[in-house]
Amino acid sequence: MNNSSDSSEDKGVVIQVKNTQKETVNDFLKKAMEQGVFDAVLISMKVPAGDSFAYVLLTDKELLKDTFPLPPIMSVQGAKAISSITRRGKGNKKIAAIMRPCEIRATVELTKLGQIDLDNIVLISMDCFGVMPTPSFIKDPEKSLKKFEDAIRIEDDTVMRPVCRICDKSSMVAGDLHIGTRGVQKDAFFIVSNTKKGKDILDKLGLISNKNIDTWLAKVKENAKEKQKKRKQAHKDLQSSIKNLDKFLDTFSHCINCHNCMRACPICCCRVCYFDSDKMKHPSDDYLRIAKSKGSIRFLPDTTIFHIGRMVHMSLSCVSCGSCEDACPMSIPVAQLFSMTADETQGLFDYIAGKSLEEPLPLTTFIKEELSEVEDVHD
Amino acid sequence: MTKVLTINQSVEMGIREFLKFLLDKSKVKGVFTLKKLNKGGDVAYSLITRSDELKDTVPFFPLMPINAGKLLSRFTMNGATSEPVAVVLKPCELRAFIELVKLEQGFLENIMFISATCGGVYPLNMVHDGTIDKNLSQYWTAIKKEEIPPNLRPACKACTEFIPYNTDMTINLVGNKTLDSQCEIFIESKKGEELAKDKDIKKKYSEKESKKKNLDNFRGKREAEKKKIFDEITPKLTGMDGLINIFGKCIGCHGCSKVCPICYCKLCEFESSDSEYGPSHYESELRRRGAVRVPPNTLYYHLGRLSHIAISCVGCGSCEDVCPVDIPLSIIFKKIGESVQHMFEYIPGKSITEKIPLTTFKEKELTEIEK
Amino acid sequence: MKKDDDFMPKILTFLCNWCSYAGADLAGTSRLKYPTSIIPIRVMCSSRVDPLFILKGYLNGADGVLLTGCHPGDCHYQSGNYHTRRRFAVLKKIFENLGLEHERLRLSWISASEGQKYAKITTEFTQKIKELGKNSTGTEIFL
Ligand code: SF4
Ligand code: SF4
Ligand code: SF4
Ligand code: SF4
Ligand code: SF4
Ligand code: SF4
Ligand code: FES
Repeated sequence: MNNSSDSSEDKGVVIQVKNTQKETVNDFLKKAMEQGVFDAVLISMKVPAGDSFAYVLLTDKELLKDTFPLPPIMSVQGAKAISSITRRGKGNKKIAAIMRPCEIRATVELTKLGQIDLDNIVLISMDCFGVMPTPSFIKDPEKSLKKFEDAIRIEDDTVMRPVCRICDKSSMVAGDLHIGTRGVQKDAFFIVSNTKKGKDILDKLGLISNKNIDTWLAKVKENAKEKQKKRKQAHKDLQSSIKNLDKFLDTFSHCINCHNCMRACPICCCRVCYFDSDKMKHPSDDYLRIAKSKGSIRFLPDTTIFHIGRMVHMSLSCVSCGSCEDACPMSIPVAQLFSMTADETQGLFDYIAGKSLEEPLPLTTFIKEELSEVEDVHD
Repeated sequence: MTKVLTINQSVEMGIREFLKFLLDKSKVKGVFTLKKLNKGGDVAYSLITRSDELKDTVPFFPLMPINAGKLLSRFTMNGATSEPVAVVLKPCELRAFIELVKLEQGFLENIMFISATCGGVYPLNMVHDGTIDKNLSQYWTAIKKEEIPPNLRPACKACTEFIPYNTDMTINLVGNKTLDSQCEIFIESKKGEELAKDKDIKKKYSEKESKKKNLDNFRGKREAEKKKIFDEITPKLTGMDGLINIFGKCIGCHGCSKVCPICYCKLCEFESSDSEYGPSHYESELRRRGAVRVPPNTLYYHLGRLSHIAISCVGCGSCEDVCPVDIPLSIIFKKIGESVQHMFEYIPGKSITEKIPLTTFKEKELTEIEK
Repeated sequence: MKKDDDFMPKILTFLCNWCSYAGADLAGTSRLKYPTSIIPIRVMCSSRVDPLFILKGYLNGADGVLLTGCHPGDCHYQSGNYHTRRRFAVLKKIFENLGLEHERLRLSWISASEGQKYAKITTEFTQKIKELGKNSTGTEIFL
């Protein structure tokens, strides 16, 4: 199965880079806005204090020069931003959203979950080299940004988040257009369309997909293969460190039940999370009774049910984006654990979260002849 | 003069043995306190019913994994316990619980409060980097000398409400030079006195009358520290530009309200559909501003939350502890909180009968507000 | 903040149905002059105005927010306006302490018979806001 890149085309557009790649991408967007292809752009920007980045939806083209298509951190998962814009309806503006592949994939999942309306959105992804952990970045934003830029230049992923270091889908094309920079000469990048919507946009801009993209495809494949190997190993190591419930609990023993991880997760989109609801609130005597049966209980006794329950709810759609881990005040490797589980549960259905809009969510469908191995055999 | 039970053991051992006594003699059916979970040094609140489980408890460990007031609200929100439970908690946690009871989010019945003069706690991020244990001996040395230990959370360094209100029993930690040899439990309430009269207690513990330590000196140090911390933040926390700079990096996780004991709403206003922008709202924002942050409402959330809870903020520091991007929330909320509390001479959680100012009024007041 | 003679501020005005709205109405029917800056919102009682409404108006670029209600003792729901007064005082204190322009927020009691007062207060407040200039929050991106 090829899960690294899946562009429907094998040809692309080559764009020559003027000055920096960032500027050229911004120029491209500006031109598209001027020609009325997009009315608005959703893209990352430095916040005024300069110590972090945030998504902005902009119609003022002049602001494009200050944007950061691939910021050094993922302060908010982009799918959450798109959901915020379209959850109450798609509106009249044609919006281009520029994000990392895992953000686009989460967007695809949220669309299938009814939280996003993509009708007026064009999803543009870019080859991703990872992001730094937000908590460490903000300790010294200036130095961190420099570190990030250096790391990108020499393709060194050691400063990136653990889930980014083992991400095998960092060039996956799930949106409408993709900007490929891997395996391309320094002064150019590819734009590849993946959908009819994407192709129409290139057409409108007078860009013709006639350039060979083999060097990109080859590099993407090579990178994915290498990362897959690392991923398998990392998951094996992690698995052996949590092989029984006690060990699993130990991993979460710092957990203070703040549920930041759930709220930062793009997939967890419930207005009131089950694990914050009244269902989890018991009469005092019940708590006492449980305590008596064990001699002592942790209070709240919700840690395990929350994490395993959350996995049950959303691991089939987990895109390994790392947002949960970034938001955890106790530095628990939440994303590493969730993405490991996700690989397993998605594997059951040959499903890759966010890869395709057409493929239904595994738990919303079924095949009559399947999974017989999980049933009891009576005979 | 206050009645005191004396146990001739260190405070750490003494309190554990006292709690064990309470459980063994069925004076209480449960004990709610901090407990070490594993060798990793994790500490969490636990509800303990069997006395051998008390050996790993660390009632006065300088850490607040979650505000215990919030936990007690979870424990009693669906009705008071029918059996007595002893709870060991910090002064701000107890104040938070009192506020929550006033907000009808919990019940006081059948709970025996044991608290202590509080030396402050360390930030939560010192848990995973494992540096708390290394700081402990330094902590207790400073506390004995009535000093503020280094590395504490800013909220604690600036806390002037370190003497608990509404307790049944208090242990003096701050400035107590005999921490390692003697555990003195001050009886502070009727409930406490009832218990002290119990014949099992009388048999076991010697009782005397004693004066509580004057802690004005320590209060002075905390006041000075608070002034310093407030003075530092004031120029940054000024005007729209200042606020945008401080809150700009907020990722909108709302962890700060989730752990805040005072924010008890089932569905926070700022997570409700009322706070979402529909497409026409986005469009009008874009017309006016040319660009809009997505998701929106960063300052609306923080200023709105201030307007909701500043009046009851107990300055416990939990909000800041969970903020993944280190926004100095506890100081902001404490500073603004104190300024609005001051208008009504209100100290949150000080008295159970005094109403929360925003739930009551006086006919003749604040006339200068209207013009 | 630029001063601009042509600047006509937008003042979000909450009017309690029983007194202040009637007061405003009276000002109108008596053909008193009052400024066009007022954007009126009728509420059943001043206490219906959650401080968040004021905050939201301010953050959305209202140049001023005026909250009006019955005089103390006259609230048609007995004590609504006493609560309003405390809430307003708290919000204003928060603004003051954060160095935000609390002068842009105002609370006034206007009875049904005080058409004059309504005209006077709206004129005065509009003048005051003109001096303060436009509320810059209306164009900030990173709120
Ligand atoms: S569980 Fe974590 S890694 Fe997975 S989608 Fe949610 S935030 Fe991303
Ligand atoms: S854990 Fe489950 S209930 Fe909670 S937000 Fe996620 S999907 Fe929803
Ligand atoms: S963010 Fe971390 S501490 Fe908070 S609930 Fe999730 S795992 Fe636990
Ligand atoms: S706002 Fe912060 S400091 Fe105040 S009570 Fe809530 S958590 Fe504690
Ligand atoms: S911010 Fe307001 S609405 Fe939200 S939980 Fe706190 S008190 Fe409730
Ligand atoms: S915890 Fe920090 S990042 Fe999260 S909402 Fe609060 S201030 Fe923002
Ligand atoms: S009815 Fe006018 S203020 Fe309450």
